[in-house]
Amino acid sequence: MSLRPSMLAGPLVFAALALAPLVLDDWRLGELSQFLAYGILAMSLALIWGQAGLLCFGQAVFFGLGAYAMSLVTLGMVPGLSSVTSTWAGLAAAMVVPAVAANVVGRFLFYGRGLRGAYFGIATLAIAVVVERLFINWGFVGGLNGLMNVPPLDLGLAGWSFELWEPVPLYAAMLAAAALVWLGLEAVVRSPFGSVLRAIAGSEERTAAFGYDTAGTKLSAFTLSAAVAGFAGALFSAQFAFVSPPLIGFALSTEALIWVAVGGRGALIAAFLGAILVKSAEARLSEALGASWLLALGLLFVACVVLLPRGVVGELLARLDGWWGRGRKDG
Amino acid sequence: MLFAALDGLNYVLVIALVAMGLVVVFGLMNVINMAHGELFLLGAYTLSITEMLGGSFWLGLILAPLLLALVGLAIEELVVRHVYHRFLDTILATWGLSIAIKQAVVLAFGPQSRTASPPFDFAVEIFGAPYPAYRLFVMAVSVAVIAGTFLLFFRTRFGLTARAVIANRRMASCLGIDTRRLDRLTFAFGAALAGLAGAVMAPLMSVDPQMGLGFLVPAFLAILVGGTGHLAGVLAGSVLVGGTDTVIARLWSPVVAQIVVFTLAIVVIRLFPRGVVGGRERR
Repeated sequence: MSLRPSMLAGPLVFAALALAPLVLDDWRLGELSQFLAYGILAMSLALIWGQAGLLCFGQAVFFGLGAYAMSLVTLGMVPGLSSVTSTWAGLAAAMVVPAVAANVVGRFLFYGRGLRGAYFGIATLAIAVVVERLFINWGFVGGLNGLMNVPPLDLGLAGWSFELWEPVPLYAAMLAAAALVWLGLEAVVRSPFGSVLRAIAGSEERTAAFGYDTAGTKLSAFTLSAAVAGFAGALFSAQFAFVSPPLIGFALSTEALIWVAVGGRGALIAAFLGAILVKSAEARLSEALGASWLLALGLLFVACVVLLPRGVVGELLARLDGWWGRGRKDG
Repeated sequence: MLFAALDGLNYVLVIALVAMGLVVVFGLMNVINMAHGELFLLGAYTLSITEMLGGSFWLGLILAPLLLALVGLAIEELVVRHVYHRFLDTILATWGLSIAIKQAVVLAFGPQSRTASPPFDFAVEIFGAPYPAYRLFVMAVSVAVIAGTFLLFFRTRFGLTARAVIANRRMASCLGIDTRRLDRLTFAFGAALAGLAGAVMAPLMSVDPQMGLGFLVPAFLAILVGGTGHLAGVLAGSVLVGGTDTVIARLWSPVVAQIVVFTLAIVVIRLFPRGVVGGRERR
């Protein structure tokens, strides 16, 4: 495989984001830190949707499970484990809980005469609605009010404490987390496992006929994606200091689908940028446009699905690659 | 107890009415129309606004399906037609439309809820107890629409060509059936059904921009539980989803009912991917 311009997109994006503290004020930087968590959620969705073709209408369920797990642990609300409140334990719980949930759901949905395509989408949609309902009515996690005063991230270990209060260190930690997730998922996408995922998206029957365990592969990808989404949720809740049912439900799930569709489902970095660009545009425009913003976003989403299936960023990268390839052939 | 049964039947029939439009579009065009709930919403608004402008309920009831048929034609032409060959993308495109339509309604008429008044609000005596006549009317409309759809698909020339396209689209097209025209008509018909359902339900519920989703998900689960291979699946699915919901809501609470029904529906869909009346797998 020769060098293509799109391969530089990831490093360039993270390099540019690393310079953000130089130009943004504290408030904007804090906002961008939250968008990075959404960006990680978008990458987790791009892994199963863009690569394996699993249209998941409930990705925020895993994000929300991670956020709640993190909050319960760091608030010391887990029965019997109230003394374990470190950020690290919270992050671990925030990845394990959604991964286990996804694994159980995936085992049920993928094996045997598994659900495919739209059926999987509708099933995840119903799951998202049910889980949101459950959390709204579950008093232990605060019901509709959610959990407040979630402690900030604390990178300390063994008694030493380093709380991330200041915007710049917090932003740096978030950016490092996002970059690590990107590197890890990119490695998965480029591995033989990633090739099998794309083969499943192309034709599940054919891939199974070649002897691949398609249900098992989908299950692994779904579980990994849920763990990453949970990680994003944990980072988000620690920054926001607050979790509530809207984080776990249907609305955020569909919002994530919009980011990924607008950015580009085929490339992780395109999905990541999609989340950051859409959320940034929303922060700038929603005050000026009011309710028209959602209308514009809905129409943009439709336009992207119909006209630019690769998404805005994805299409740009693909064109850049095409132009680069032609230039080298001519020269 | 009798009223609970009647209310349950009412809910079942309303789900069937909403699901009918969905299954016609899904069965014939293989398009999952996530904007169906918003077409329902537009139907309810059509009725409410007709009444506000001084028109009668009956005028609104006739206007809603006609207007929605036009909206359906426009959606088919502008959006759906371009993504037929990308099945999953039809879900996304219509989902985007549903967001846009909902927000356009908020912009045009505000987020607050409106009201629509029924044409008659007397009660009839059933076994010695009063029951709102309008609810009976809604049930009658639903039964009429379901019967009408069955007649349309099994007793008319349009239905024959439509079933030919469902069975084998390419062959039907080779035999000279204009599948484009059929797709257009089908989508308009599905949209008109949603509009009618919205209009007829408007006096019974709060007419607000969020009213669509509440019916969309149960209707989808009903058609998947019942099976998309046959129109009768819609009835079976609606009975199972609506009936279970009513019983559990009465025994515990509406929230528990929704959680249990959605979860059970997923289990049933997983165990019977062709639906409970799906029968043999069709290829």
